[in-house]
This record gives sequence, C-alpha cells and structure tokens, in this order.
Amino acid sequence: MIIPVRCFTCGKLIGDLWEEFARRVKTGENASDILDSLGVKRYCCRRMLLSNVEIIDEILRFYEEAEKRKESQNLY
Amino acid sequence: MEIKILDKNATTMRLMIRGADVTLVNALRRIMLAEVPSMAIDEVVIIDNSSILQDEIIAHRLGLTPLKTDLDSYNLPGECECKSEFGCSLCRVTITLNAEANEGTRTVYSGELVSENPEIVPVSDKIPLIKLAKGQKLKLEAYARLGKGKNHAKWQPVSMCAYKYLPKIEIASEKCTGCAKCVEICPKKVFAIKADMVEVRDLLACNLCMDCVEACPQKPSPIKVSWEKNAFIMNIESTGVLPPERIIQEATKILDKQLKEFEEQVKVEVK
Repeated sequence: MIIPVRCFTCGKLIGDLWEEFARRVKTGENASDILDSLGVKRYCCRRMLLSNVEIIDEILRFYEEAEKRKESQNLY
Repeated sequence: MEIKILDKNATTMRLMIRGADVTLVNALRRIMLAEVPSMAIDEVVIIDNSSILQDEIIAHRLGLTPLKTDLDSYNLPGECECKSEFGCSLCRVTITLNAEANEGTRTVYSGELVSENPEIVPVSDKIPLIKLAKGQKLKLEAYARLGKGKNHAKWQPVSMCAYKYLPKIEIASEKCTGCAKCVEICPKKVFAIKADMVEVRDLLACNLCMDCVEACPQKPSPIKVSWEKNAFIMNIESTGVLPPERIIQEATKILDKQLKEFEEQVKVEVK
C-alpha cells in the first residue's frame, strides 16, 4: 500500500529512504548500488525497499478522477 | 575487563570487549533490546480522517515512527509521580497533526507532526505517513510515552544489537602451499595472498563459517579457525532515538538496579 515506516524484521527506519530510492531507480541506477549508498546493509531491510509497490498511488487515482468530475460538473 | 571502541558514528557502534563472560554480555544485549526505555506514540485520537487509510493503520504508522528521546526529563508512565492513567507533562508528550490536501495529491511527512516539546520530534522529517488526494483531510492528536521493548517493538531503541566471539585464525605457514582456495571461498574476504602465502587480512570480519578449512586441499588443513573464549565483538545499531553509547550506559544502569533489587530481596528472605 504505502512504504512501511520500519523494517518488518529488525525495526530499522526505512520509510524515509523510499523516495530517494524510487527516484534513483527511475533514473536507471543499479538498485543494489543505491541500497549500499543509502546504508541499507541487511537483506531484511533491503527487501523492504526492493519489493515495495506503492499501490496507494493507484488507488488515489480514483479519488483524483472523482474530484475532477465534481469540478467539471460545477463548471456547467 | 577491557573495552575498545572499534568504530562509532551517530547511530552505530562496534565494541571489542575483552575479559568478560558470555553471561554478562548477553545480559546487556537482552536489556538493550527489552528494557532500555524510549519514546513512541501509543495513543492516537483521530479527530478527522477522510483519507483512504483506516484510523488503525495511521495510528500504527505513527506508533512506529521513532521519536528522539529525552530520558532525563521524562518518566516511565508506571513510575511517574502523577499516578494517573492519562499521564502528566512529565510522562507524556502531545503531538498533533493537521494536514489537508488543497491542491492535488500530496504526501504528508513526519516533519508535519507538531510536538508540544520541540526536543521530542521524529528522528527523520522525511518519513511518509500518508498520501492525501485533493480534498482529503487528516486531523489527529497523539500521545507519546516512554516504554520498553518487551511491551512493544516500537519502544526498542536498537534495530540491531548482537555480539560474536572474537575469531582466532592460525595458519601453519610451513604447510601452506599458497593455493588461494581459502581466499576464493571466504564469503567475508578474511584472507589475502602475500608473497605466495596466505595471511589474515581482516580478522574481525570472520564469522567462523569454517569454509576455508574445508576448501583447503591439504588434510588436515593448515588453517585453524577458533575463537577467543572471553573476547567479544558487539555491534549496536540505534534507530536514532538515543545515541548508541547512551543505550549501553542505560543498559548497565538497569542491570545494576535489577541486581540491587535482587540482593535486597535475598537479604529480606534470609533474615
């Protein structure tokens, strides 16, 4: 849904690393190198970032569309 | 006992402890995990939530957000003089959040949490708490308290706290042929070849897996891997709530307190 705040296994804070990680992956950088440079050493924390899918973005699209529709109805 | 700090930064610390027993080192480890208090949100009053995450999920995310802890000015709720279930200004911090998305979808970060005590704030300002679409609102009041790791993992001040024996590697140089099989197989790259001979490059990295002994074509192997009996390497990684050296100091204080209490009880019983 949304990036978890902490690693499920060890409890390390990983939520604040997500946006930088996602941005750099998009630019084509190697995911393993990004994790190393972010200081994510253990494989439990690495999988948190590697395997996360921000489904919340997909769901929010429905609300954005609903809002747009409401606005366009107000125009007429 | 002899303690040496091998490396240290704001959140991690590596110690070499010589002349201590497993019992002591393990007691300290367990106290650091379960007994050293830290601050975390544990009650949330949701005033308005029109976001797509349920109240419980938001409360859970807030609870897991690590907060910088001030152990000197706050008491554990059970030990506070106020004796109230609700808490007083010495055992509770009120944190509020009022977020609304007015112009399109946006992310609400931990930096938007407003704490009544500017010292007790999230460790990082960039933790995404929730995403709001246009027109959605989130308004809440949260209470942070001190707590212990044994009650909930959110109160654990360390995300890693482990120790291992100090490795001891002996290479019988007259029998070693310098075939470098051990250099190749070692997952931690402990060995290096120098002048056709195998030598130990990084002793502390060894995790005692014994792959080097098995990979050696000579039987019995000239490499002997063992460990020092009373020397340990301890690794501590704080979540950022307290500096690692403070966590160790607190752990020793707590152990001391528990032993004193035990001693008192024994005295009472013996009489």
